Amino acid sequence: MSLPAAPLDWKRLDPRMLLVHPIKEVGRFLPVIIGILIAGGASGAGPWTLVGVGLPVGLGVVRYLTTTYRIAEGRVELQRGLLQRHTLATPIDRVRTVDLTASPIHRVLGLATVVIGTGSVASDGDERLELDALPREEAARLRTELLRTSGPSGAATPAGVAEGERVVARFEPRWLWYAPFSGTVLVGLGAIIGGAFQLSESIDIRVSEDDLAAISQGFVVAVAAAAVLLLALLAVGGYLVTNGGFVLSRYGAAWHVRRGLLTHRETSIDVARLAGVSLGEPAALRLARGRRVGAIVTGLSGTQASSAVLLPPAPRATGYDVAAAVLGTTAPMTSPLLPHGRAATTRRYTRALAGAAPFAVAAAAGTLAGGPGWLLGLSPLPLGLALLLAWDRARSLGHAFVEGHVVMRSGSVLRSHDALAAGHVIGWNQRATWFQRRTGLVALAATTAGGKGQVRVPDVPAGAAIALAEAATPGLVGQFLEER
Amino acid sequence: MSQLRDPANRVSPRARLMWHVESGISALVVATGLGVAAVLLGRDGLRWWLLGLAVVVCATAAVVVPRWRYRVHRWEVSANAVYTQRGWWAQERRIAPMSRVQTVDLAQGPLARLFGLATVTVTTASAAGPLQIEGLDRPVALALVDELTRKADLVAGDAT
Repeated sequence: MSLPAAPLDWKRLDPRMLLVHPIKEVGRFLPVIIGILIAGGASGAGPWTLVGVGLPVGLGVVRYLTTTYRIAEGRVELQRGLLQRHTLATPIDRVRTVDLTASPIHRVLGLATVVIGTGSVASDGDERLELDALPREEAARLRTELLRTSGPSGAATPAGVAEGERVVARFEPRWLWYAPFSGTVLVGLGAIIGGAFQLSESIDIRVSEDDLAAISQGFVVAVAAAAVLLLALLAVGGYLVTNGGFVLSRYGAAWHVRRGLLTHRETSIDVARLAGVSLGEPAALRLARGRRVGAIVTGLSGTQASSAVLLPPAPRATGYDVAAAVLGTTAPMTSPLLPHGRAATTRRYTRALAGAAPFAVAAAAGTLAGGPGWLLGLSPLPLGLALLLAWDRARSLGHAFVEGHVVMRSGSVLRSHDALAAGHVIGWNQRATWFQRRTGLVALAATTAGGKGQVRVPDVPAGAAIALAEAATPGLVGQFLEER
Repeated sequence: MSQLRDPANRVSPRARLMWHVESGISALVVATGLGVAAVLLGRDGLRWWLLGLAVVVCATAAVVVPRWRYRVHRWEVSANAVYTQRGWWAQERRIAPMSRVQTVDLAQGPLARLFGLATVTVTTASAAGPLQIEGLDRPVALALVDELTRKADLVAGDAT
C-alpha cells in the first residue's frame, strides 16, 4: 500500500486514535465477529477468526493514514478516504460552532473529537467536518483559532471584551428533579404502552370480562406506579449521564457549553452567530417550575439540536437568567406579550373540542350499543382534557417586539417562548386557511438562517402581524400595504 | 387600517390550463383506482354510491382548484424585496428582502415545458423560506431570474 505522504502543513490525527478506532470498529463488527467465532469454532477453521478481528483494526489504520487536515489561507481543509478521496474545505469565517466530544475511551487516552459546524444546511455523513481524534490541548487550540479568527464577532456585543471566563450556569444536583418532567418519561410511557399492546396482540391474549374482574385494581395501580417510577429513574439517570457537570460560560466571543458525565461534550457557539434564544416551557416542566433554554444559531439546523442546548431542564429562575445573559437583556423574556384576541381564543377551543368530540361520541355510542356503563362515564373525559388544553393554548399565545427582538410564544404541551434578534430575521411568511381569513387571522413566521428556519406563532390578528413585521424590519412589509 | 395587499403580478393564464391538466390527470388516476376497487370488492349498491360521490368530488376538485389557485398565485419584485402569494384553501404569503436572497432557481417540469411555462424558486438561508412562483411564461421567468440575480448581487454579505 502506498501511503499518501502528508505535505508539511497537512497534519495527521493523533496516533493514539489507532487505539480508539479498533475498539469502536470491533464494537460495530461485534455481531459479525461473534458469528465468525462461533462458525469458526464449530468448523474448526482458525484463520477466519483472525480475519474477523483483523479487518476492523486494519480499517482503523487505513483511516489514520488517509486522514489529514490543515488550516491555511483562511480555510479549514480535511482530506480523507482511501479509494474515494474526499477533500472538504470551509472558510474559517463560516464556522458557527465547534464541538469537542470525548467518549470514555477518548478521555482515557487524552483525546477529543472535533466537529466543526458550518452554515451548510445538509451536513450529514460524509460532509461533516469531523476530526476524530486530536490530543485534548491540540483540539482546544484549534477551537480557539477557529473561533477567534471568525470575523469581528467580538465587537458585536458589549460583553465581548471581557477577558477570562464568565460562568453563567453550573450544574446542581437539584436539577435532577426536573429530569422526569422533560418529556422523556411521557415518550417512554407511550413506548411501553404501545409495546405492551403489540405484545398482547402477537401472543394473542384474549381478555374476557372475567379476566378483568380477576385482576384486582390494587395490582393494576401497583404495576402502573412501578412503571412510572422506573421511567422516572431512567430519566434521572439519562439526565445525569448527558448533563452531569454542565457548565455554561462566556469566554471571549463565544458561548461554551460543557456537559456529560461519561462522554464529555464541549460546544462553542460564536456570539455573532447566535440569532436568538428559545425558552422551552413544556406543560410538564412548567408544572415542576422548570425551564430549558436552547440557542437559535445561524447555520445550525433543528436536526443538530443537541449542539444548540444552552441549558437542560433546570429551575425557572436559572432559565430566565441564562436567557437574559445570552440575549444581553432581560426584557424579551419578562415583558408582557400582546394577546391575540377573541378570534384566536375561539379557534383554540373549537379546534381542541373538534378533535376530542369523536372520542366522546364513540364512548357514548359504545354504551348505547350495549357496552359497559362505565364507558358512558368516560365520555366527558376527552372533552375535559380538550378544554384544559385549549385554555392553556389560548393563554400561551402572544407576541411582541421588545428591545430589538421578535418575541413569540405558543403551544401548551410543548410550549416555547422564542426571542429572535431583529437583525437575524431574513423574511416573513404568512399563512392563512379559509377559516383564518374569515376571522382575520394569520399564522406568522419570521424566517431565520438558524434553528428550525423560522420562529412561528399561529393566529395573529392580521394588523398585529404587519405591525410586528414593520417594527422588526422597517420598510420591508410596509411597501406592500394598502389602505382598507 | 392598512392591510397587506396582493402582489402586483399574476402568473401566466396558461398556468390555469396546465393545472387543469395536472389535476385532471391525478383525478382520473384516483377515480380509476376507486372504480377498480369498487368492481373487485363486490357490487353492493352502497359501494357504487360512494364511488359516484368520490368521482364527483375528484371532478369538482379538478375543475375548481386550478381556477382558485390561479386567482391566488401572484408575485411582485420591488427594489429591495420579493413578495409571493400561493395556495388555494390555505394561502401563504412570503416576503424576503433582496439582501437575504441566496440562490435563484429556474425549473421546468415536462408538463410545464409543454405549456412553455417555468417555476422560479428564490431561496434564502432559512430552511423554512423558499419563495416559489409557479406557472410563469418562460421569457418572463428568465427575465425575472436575471433581475433577481442582479439585484441580489449588489448587496454585500453572506445573506445570513
